[in-house]
Amino acid sequence: MEANTTDKKSSWLKSGWWLILLVAAGLAAPYVISEFYLLILGEALIMSLFALSFNLLFGHMGQLPFGQAAFYGLGGYGIAMLLTKYQMNFWLSFVAGIGLAALAGLIIGIFCVRLRGIYFSILTLAFGQLIFVIIYKWHDFTGGDDGIQGVFPPEFLKTSVSYYYFVLLVFCIAAFILWRITHSPFGYILKAMRENSERTEFLGVPIARYQLIAFVISAAFAGLAGALWAPFYRSVAPSTLIWIKSGEPVMATILGGAGLFFGPVLGTFIITFFHAYILGFTHFWPIIMGTLILIVIFFLPGGVLGFIKEKLDNRKKRGQQS
Amino acid sequence: MSFDVLFNQFLSGIARGSMLFLVASGLSLTFGVLRVLNFAHGSLYMLGAFLTYSIWKWLLIPVYGFYVATLLSALVIAGIGLLIEYSILRRLYARGWPEQLLATYALILIITDTVKWFWGGEFLSIPRPEPFTKAVFLFGFPFPSYNFFIIILGLVLVFFLWWLVYKTRLGDIIRAAAHDRDMVSALGIPIPWLFTSIFVLGAFIAGLSGAVTAPYGSIALGMDIEIIVECFAVVVIGGMGSLPGTLLGSFIVGQVYSFGIMYKPELALAFIFMVMAIVLIIRPWGIFGRPER
Repeated sequence: MEANTTDKKSSWLKSGWWLILLVAAGLAAPYVISEFYLLILGEALIMSLFALSFNLLFGHMGQLPFGQAAFYGLGGYGIAMLLTKYQMNFWLSFVAGIGLAALAGLIIGIFCVRLRGIYFSILTLAFGQLIFVIIYKWHDFTGGDDGIQGVFPPEFLKTSVSYYYFVLLVFCIAAFILWRITHSPFGYILKAMRENSERTEFLGVPIARYQLIAFVISAAFAGLAGALWAPFYRSVAPSTLIWIKSGEPVMATILGGAGLFFGPVLGTFIITFFHAYILGFTHFWPIIMGTLILIVIFFLPGGVLGFIKEKLDNRKKRGQQS
Repeated sequence: MSFDVLFNQFLSGIARGSMLFLVASGLSLTFGVLRVLNFAHGSLYMLGAFLTYSIWKWLLIPVYGFYVATLLSALVIAGIGLLIEYSILRRLYARGWPEQLLATYALILIITDTVKWFWGGEFLSIPRPEPFTKAVFLFGFPFPSYNFFIIILGLVLVFFLWWLVYKTRLGDIIRAAAHDRDMVSALGIPIPWLFTSIFVLGAFIAGLSGAVTAPYGSIALGMDIEIIVECFAVVVIGGMGSLPGTLLGSFIVGQVYSFGIMYKPELALAFIFMVMAIVLIIRPWGIFGRPER
């Protein structure tokens, strides 16, 4: 796996100026871009969070979950159902949505962390699909294929600009927490398991427990993304938890670069904006996306960010030699 | 609950299991040898069903046109499998399995969109072929005789695969490659050729199973996802890459589905996953599977 580039911190990544610049750009965005692109930007941020939750397990722990959409959808369904069916407080519903995703992550995780590699992927996929089927078929309770409409944020977040700032704030906090997790002793243990789980076990690390904790954290952040999405889109539908949706963070992460913390974010931004752009011409987006994935797999093995970083490192090396 | 109801349900379960085996065996065979989980197997199955419909309409052979269309469409799908293996998968064997998985995921997107492009989003159907048009009565219950065709076809495939894997030289190579690929290669057996032929065989089975599902009256977008997830349950229960495991897994899933639907139709699929969870607690790598290295 090409994921071990995370450990080599280049000065380019270490100096935080580009991060400050990006946040400033994010804050200024509503004054610069049109409302349409502001909505796309909000969507990109939410999907980025979803992709980051995936990459905690993939890039940092070395396991590929293919059922991540289930947790994302549960977050969305949790908040949507509590808001519309039980008229609960928005913030309580928001937290409950995340809690629901984390709880499902705990139950499913208990089974999944027993497996490695492709078996882990299949099992997460199967459990994810189970949740999809339950929500899809349980029409009386969840609305089935109609989904749930009328998921409104509180009054002061109802405009697209204010909700965008809310998304930006939550994204920044969540990304910071995830970054701290990956750079904590816990995060280093995950990394050790990725590199050699057997040896890590010999060191006395209860790897199943660590994997389970990581699984629950990942599910919670996927749920957070879903809980952000439902009020953003004003509705949820079963299509948010189908397994094809689980492929989206996978391709965003591999497109952007799994080995770098912000790789999934870059990949998601490329896909989301490209999607918005392409839909102006054709409805056959999946065919274009599929082709794009194949091109990236063949020609950009480390992802876009990995590619850029490699070029920068090479230039620096050449500079030192001469 | 009387015996005849139970027997009828059991027989329906056998038919369902047979259908699942048709699809899952190709998936399992490909995985066992190539160690590539072909997500797009279900898409090839769906493409097989749509192609059968079009070929059947185009042929206009009155009675047995369906069988001709089935064979032709399976052959076309095998050809598409050849194309996929040769132009895409072959370049990825040296890479990690996440890339292989993502590549087959990309194929799902491409194939699904292509099907939508050519056939649109409507439901299509083919009438059941002779001599399986009518229902037979077992203990007074109507039972579609086409189910017997599916069961027989499943049995034929079981025997064919058993013969292929355990009785032929290719089978020796297949089993050896599933065990230790490098050793087989070192013995001078051309691995790329082996991989291509197995993938093509898997695609042929996918096309064939898609074709024979067409007379059940549901050729539509989304049929790929519906079956492939159950097939994942089959191979997880039985053990990835094991033929006896796939057979047993298909039987179990078929029965659980059939009796589950009698008990509570909405939860039939949930029961399958519950069984899967129980199997995994006892044997995480499936009943006939090997612990992963």
